[in-house]
Order: sequence, then C-alpha cells, then structure tokens
Amino acid sequence: MVGSVSGMHASPHRGASVEFAEYRRYVPGDDLRRLDWRAFGRTDRYYVKEFEADTNLRLCLVLDTSGSMGFGSSGPSKLEYAKRLAGSLAYLAIQQGDAVGLTCIAERIVRTIPPRRTPSHLRGVNDEIEHAEAAGDTRLIEGLHEFAETTSQRALVVILSDLFVDLSELRGAFDHLRFRKHDVSVFHLLDSQETQFEFRRPTRFVALEGEATVFADPSEIADRYQAAVSQYLSELKSIVLESSIDYHQITIDEDYEQALFRFLAHRNKSRGVR
Amino acid sequence: MSFLQPAMLLALPVIALPIVIHLINQRRFQTVHWAAMHFLLAANRMSRGYARLRQWLILAARTLAVAGLIFAISRPLSSGWLGLAGGGRVDTAIILLDRSPSMNQIGPGGISKLQTGISRLAESLDRLQANRYVLIESGRREPIELASPSVMKGMPETTPLSETADIPAMLETAAEYIRVNRPSRCELWLCSDVRRADWKSDSGRWDAIRSALADLPQMVRYHLLAYPEVAPDNRSIRVTRVRRVEGNRVAGIRVAGNQAEPSQGARLLISFRIEQTRSTDGTETIPVQLEIGGGRSEFPVEMTGNILEVQDHAVPIDGFQETGWGRLSIPSDTSPADNEYFFVYEKESVRQTLILTEQPVAVRPLEFAAAVAPSPDVRCEVEVASPDQAIGRQIDDIAVVVWQAAIPDPSDPISGVLNEFARRGGRLIFLPPDNPTDSAFAGVRWSRWSDSQASRVSTWVGDRDLLANTRSGEALPVGDLRIRRSCAPQGELTALATLEDGSPLLARAMTPGANVYFCGTTAREEDSSMATSGVVLYAMMHRAIEAGAQSLGSAQQFIAGAVAVENDGQWRQVAGPRDALSSDYARVAGVYQMGDRWFAINRSEEEDLQAVVPEERVSSLFAELDFSRVNDTVGNQRSLIREVWRVFLVIMLIALFVEAVLCLPRRIAKEKGVAFGGASG
Repeated sequence: MVGSVSGMHASPHRGASVEFAEYRRYVPGDDLRRLDWRAFGRTDRYYVKEFEADTNLRLCLVLDTSGSMGFGSSGPSKLEYAKRLAGSLAYLAIQQGDAVGLTCIAERIVRTIPPRRTPSHLRGVNDEIEHAEAAGDTRLIEGLHEFAETTSQRALVVILSDLFVDLSELRGAFDHLRFRKHDVSVFHLLDSQETQFEFRRPTRFVALEGEATVFADPSEIADRYQAAVSQYLSELKSIVLESSIDYHQITIDEDYEQALFRFLAHRNKSRGVR
Repeated sequence: MSFLQPAMLLALPVIALPIVIHLINQRRFQTVHWAAMHFLLAANRMSRGYARLRQWLILAARTLAVAGLIFAISRPLSSGWLGLAGGGRVDTAIILLDRSPSMNQIGPGGISKLQTGISRLAESLDRLQANRYVLIESGRREPIELASPSVMKGMPETTPLSETADIPAMLETAAEYIRVNRPSRCELWLCSDVRRADWKSDSGRWDAIRSALADLPQMVRYHLLAYPEVAPDNRSIRVTRVRRVEGNRVAGIRVAGNQAEPSQGARLLISFRIEQTRSTDGTETIPVQLEIGGGRSEFPVEMTGNILEVQDHAVPIDGFQETGWGRLSIPSDTSPADNEYFFVYEKESVRQTLILTEQPVAVRPLEFAAAVAPSPDVRCEVEVASPDQAIGRQIDDIAVVVWQAAIPDPSDPISGVLNEFARRGGRLIFLPPDNPTDSAFAGVRWSRWSDSQASRVSTWVGDRDLLANTRSGEALPVGDLRIRRSCAPQGELTALATLEDGSPLLARAMTPGANVYFCGTTAREEDSSMATSGVVLYAMMHRAIEAGAQSLGSAQQFIAGAVAVENDGQWRQVAGPRDALSSDYARVAGVYQMGDRWFAINRSEEEDLQAVVPEERVSSLFAELDFSRVNDTVGNQRSLIREVWRVFLVIMLIALFVEAVLCLPRRIAKEKGVAFGGASG
C-alpha cells in the first residue's frame, strides 16, 4: 500500500522496515547507514540492504451523487447502497490506521474531504456520506479528471457509481487516474430492473436527470433495451480490463456485505494481506 | 351481400374492440422515474419503425378476426344477384312468372326452364325469407298470395301455358299491387326466358312502366332470373289452314289401323308448316303424326332446309262427319310446346259478304272480287244494299260487311248494328264516302279527300293480316297500286299500308277483335288501280271473308289467351293436357267444346320465333331502377345462393395465425453500443 507512515499494508516501495527484501549494488547517494558491511567484508563490494517497507493506506472514496443514483426499483436506491459501501470502507480504513478521503461528484465535485486517519475524521466522512443526496446531472468524467489532477499522492481510489456515462470518455478518465499511479477500484452499481427491464404495462419513463420523457410499451422495446444494456456492459468490461481497473458489477438487491466481502477478498487475493 | 342472420351484424361495432382495448391500455400507463434513460431512448428509437408497423398489423389482424367471426355467425350468402339484394328481411317478395310455351323448353334431366326457375326461386326465397310472398303469373296476371315460396312447385298456376306472356303488363300489375298495398320494402323477382315475344321490348309501354316503377315511394329491387338459352335443334309444327271439303276419294293416305280408302266423299285439306333451327344438308324424313277425332295415323314428310310448307294435305274422313277436331304433331324435342298443333274443322258454309253503299256502281269491283270463290269447294255470295237496309237485316250469317257511306253517328241505330257485328267477330271494312263527315267508328274517322297526284304504297305489313305475303312467301303486289285519290283514316289505328306521303291507306282500328278496317281509297278507276290490279283487292277481300267466316262457324281456332275469359267455365276439354285448370283452358293448347261449338287453342305464331331480347336492351328497360340479372341454365341444380360463412371463418383463423406470428418474440441482432449524449448519465 502506498502511504507515508508505517502501517499494515505492504508498500510497493522498498524502505525501512524489519522484513529483509533483497541486496542491491550501492550507488552514490544511497544512505551509507544502509550499507551491509558484512557483505563488503566477504565480497569486497558495496551492497545496500533493502527491506519491505510497511506503510499506511490513503483511501479516496469517489461517490457519484447524480440523479440517476437515486433509482431503486425495490428497497434502497443505488445511492443508499453506495453509502453503505463507502461507510464500511471508511470505517475499515480508519480502524487499520489508514487515511480516508471522500469526493462526491454530481454536476461538479460537490464535496471533497481530503484523506486523514484520525478517528474524528471518520465522523466527518460519515456525516458527508449520510447527507449526500442524488440530484442533478452526472459530470463524473470531468470530476474524475479533476480528482486525478488535484490528488498528487498515490491512493486507492474507489469509485461508486452507476457509470451511466459515455464509455469512450470513461476510458480516458480511468487512464488519467492510472497515469497518476492511483490504484483504481470501481463499484458499478445497477438496479436489477435496469438490466432486465421487466415492465408489463405501457409506461411513461421520466428521466431522473434532465427533462427527457419516453412513453413506451415495454413489450415492444424490452428486447432492444436489453440488447443495448448487454452491449454496454460488454464494452465496459473490455475497458476496465484494458485499463487494469478493479471492477465489480453489483446489483443492488444483493447483500452489500457480500459485495464488500467479495471486494476485499479479491484485493487480498491479488495483493495479499500481511 | 345478404345475410341470413342480419341481426348479428348489429355486433359489428365490436370489431373496434381491439382498438378500444389498445387505446384503454395506452391510457392506463404508469409513470416511472428512470435512470438508464439512454438505453431506453436508444431502444425506442431503434424499434420505432418496425414496432409501430407490427403493432398496426397486430391490431388489424385482431380486428379482422373479430369481423370474420361476426360475419361468419351472420351467415352471409353469396350469389351474383341475391348478393346485391342487401341484407335484412324484405316485407314483400313479388314473383313474376313467365309461363309462356318457350319456358317449357327442357334441359338435362327432363326439367324445363319453368320448373328450374320455380325450384330455384322457391329455394332462394325460402332461405331469404320475407313477410309476404305474392305470385303474378303470366296467365291471369292477378296477384296470388303464397303461404311460402315452396308451394309454387305444386301449384296449377305455375304449370306451362300456351299463351305468350306479356311482361310489361305483368310489371304494370306488380306496380299497381305495390301502389295499393304499400309494402315497406319490396323485392321483385322476374323469372323469364327473355323472349322478344313475351317482353315486347319495342313497345311504347315500357317508358310509362319504368316511370311508374321509378315513382314508387317504396324501395323496390328488381331481379331477373333469365333463361335466354335457345334450343339448339328445335323443330316446330304449325297448321296454317284446315278445310273440310266434300270430295272424292284421295289415294295414298294411310289411316291408322285401316288401310282401306274411305268409301264416301269428304276430306280434310290440311296445310301446315314445319320449321327447324338447324339446317340439314340433305333431305330428312320427319314422321308427322295426325290425330283426327281420336284416331291416329302417321305419314312422313321430306324436309330440306329450315322450312317445310305442306299445302292441302288431304285426309279422307267420313262424309257424315261435318265437325271435328284433330292434332298434328312431330317427334318431341327439347321444346315440346311447339311440337304439336290442334285444329278443328267443320263443313264449309256459304261465305256471305254484305256491301252497304249509296253508290253500287262504285263498289262493283269489290262485288266481283268477293263473289269469286278461291276454290271450287267454297261457295261465296255477295249482296249489295243501301245502308238503310242494314236495319232489320239478319247479319248473323254474314262474314264481311263493307260499308261505303258516311260513318253513322253513334246514336244512329245502324251504328249499333255494325258494333254488334264487329263484337261477334265479323270483318267490317269501311270505304271512304264522297263526303266524309266527322263521325267516328271505333275511334277512327275520315279526313278529307286529297286530290294529289298519283301516289304509291310505300310500306305495308306483309307478315300478317289482310296484306300478308302469300303462302309461298311472295309479297302481294301492293307496291304496284296507283292511288289517285285518297281519304286517309284518322284516330286510334294500326296502319297496314301507308302511302308515300305517310298517310295510311289501309288501317285497322284498335278494337278487341282487331276486325274493323279502314281503306283510304275506293276501287273506282278515278280513285285507284285496285280494280285493274285486282290481285291485291281479291286477296284482301278473301282474307277478310275467310277470317269472318271462321268467326261464324261452330269450329273456331284461337290463339291462346285471345278468348274472353268469361266463357272459360263452360268449356269442356276434348284434347290437350289433363292437368290444366279449367279456368286456364283458353290459355292452354288443346281442343275444347262449348255446346255445339268447337275451339282449338294454340300458341301464337310469335312463339315459334326464338328471338331473345339482348341483355343491353333489358338493362335499358330497367334503367335507373335497382336492377340485377343472373343468367341461369335450364336444368341447373345448383342453388342461387350459397352460405359463405366458412370463408369468413377461414379469414378469422388466418388473422389469428398472423396475429400469433406477429406476437412472437423477435430475435434481436446485435446492435451497436449505446452512445450517451454529452456527459449526462
């Protein structure tokens, strides 16, 4: 994990620690204190002893609070679901001594809390999460670009959104985050009705974002709708694969604890937990 | 199209049910706030064209299915003419039935046109149903109310007659019935073979009839069930003349059952004509059967061409047999009505002519012409008297009265004598007096003498009446006559000969017996060449004398329907169809007896002409009327109307199948990705 203080996560950088990692040749500028004199005595060459650096984590939660996140066909909305996930992740991070920050994006970046690790900070983050409301159009792409530009330190960026954005532009945003060395995870939240489209009667669909209204007989368009969603998901998976994004598609009628567990298990599997 | 259950058509608005359900369904929409709007917009945009078409097709299929069901249970009927009759039960169905002899033409199975027409009409009308059925047949032309159309099959009023139909008169009767009884909705069914003789399509009455029918306030539909088919190989026989002469033995006549020649002197001279539509290349032998007083014999005749004329075929009979009857027949063909002919005969009496004139010299040529008998067997006598002598004179035995004097005033007793003579059937010939008056007889009066230059007869009626062609077919030399002075008759008359200036020279008054003639000139040298060219005068006089003599005798020939109906009840049938009603005797070919008088009834000469009124002409006769026609064939057993509900049921099933196919889920081809417009999500 990337961090400036020692913590529970294995850092990708070699540094001061108790866990020996490897030897390497001394180059001018290296700290002389880290020279292994015993090795010099045996080989008459200068080697520097390197150790696994244990650092803490900067977790940046990016929460999509646009109008579309307010949809939930049965039970909580996508935003409610995202809030639970975000709150849980924030709690876990603070409990591990990691720093947690929060960025809420709707038509703009409506709220930003920089990462901190103090327990009192958790309360502030939770307050913001609790008060977040789904409203306005989504400017997620612009928000992610702005986030990437303004967040200089590498961090674990967890995006919670329905990703109803243009996929080609989303690819650019992901690439931007990756370019800034961020570790990016995405919780793609969808309602089951949004994928299956199981309406029976003629329905007037009113957009949660914008003024658009569509009157349609679902039986007439369901097949094409499902085909469009399927195509969209297929392209999205292709993008996240190519961008090395940790992607998790979650249907919000799934238990969020299960979703969280899958996320953590997946990360543990890929990086390992000390 | 008509329907047996038209009330079910009231459910036709139900075909709008799918549309109404569709509209209600459209109105019962729910409103959903939706996030994934772009997928929706894309899907809606992509499926708009086909989906809308499919939706309309489904709607149309459902509507068609409901309509098909309603039409099927309404039991629609299909036919050429009844289909146009329109749905619903009519108030009165009037059936005009042509019973003329030509309707007796038989087809396959031995069924006649009349039987076929009656059967098909009865079946169709039984199915269509009406509140009232009225039959007007061509015989009596009186409306007969029927309990049901099927009773026509066994009615004596629907058996064939020998009388030529008068279709215009039947239509007049029908129009009068409608006018008097005022049915609400009326259908008129006319069953006929559309013969020119029956339809009289050239008659001026048609305009008035059409106008009367058009003026009827009721909705009347006219349907013609036509049998215009002409018998292909028809052969007919007609006796043109029968004379009984006291005479000598005649050789070569074979009498049925008795080859011996008769011992004493009387014989029948029978002239007859056989016509056939098919012309034979060679000579054909036709067996002719002769029945005289119940005794039958047969003799062959050789026929070449289309017409065979036999003159005075001699048949020996007993001398004491002064009056009797007979029948001449040929083998039956497809038109049996014209395969036999009845006749009666009697001992020839003296043919008397009475000439009443104020100028005996002026009528001398007529006197001579009338006095010379056409054959040695006939005796002719002429008496010339002044008009005053007619009063009190016994004229019961006079065949012809020639009147050359001023037409008597109707109040004059002489006028009564002449009227009675004409009513009895004698021939009455008026010649113009020197000073014509304004008095009229039978609606005809004399005009003034015209002293124009010599004129000729331009046209004359050569097929019948006094100036008819000779038996050999040659025309009388009427055109050779020189008319120097003429006094044209005026009034209600039928011109038999007209001069070059169009004025009638010889005319017949419109009397019931058609036996009052007016000749517009005299036989005097200064008036005409009738005396010098005596053939025309002679033929004219003797034809009138012969016709007049027939009206005097106890044995008379009549055309069917020409005898007064009031005498029917006293007739006794001697020969002819046994199933004929006694009230129809005057219309059915046969031999009848009333007291000591004999009558032979036969079809008219027009019936032997197979001319059919062209279809266009028939249409023009019913112009501006709701008229439809179907041509049927004799012996056709197929129904005029057919129920076609199965067709509509099949349509309904097809519509349901199409609807099911259209409602099947459609496989979606992989579409391009959904493009989200702008940055909105």
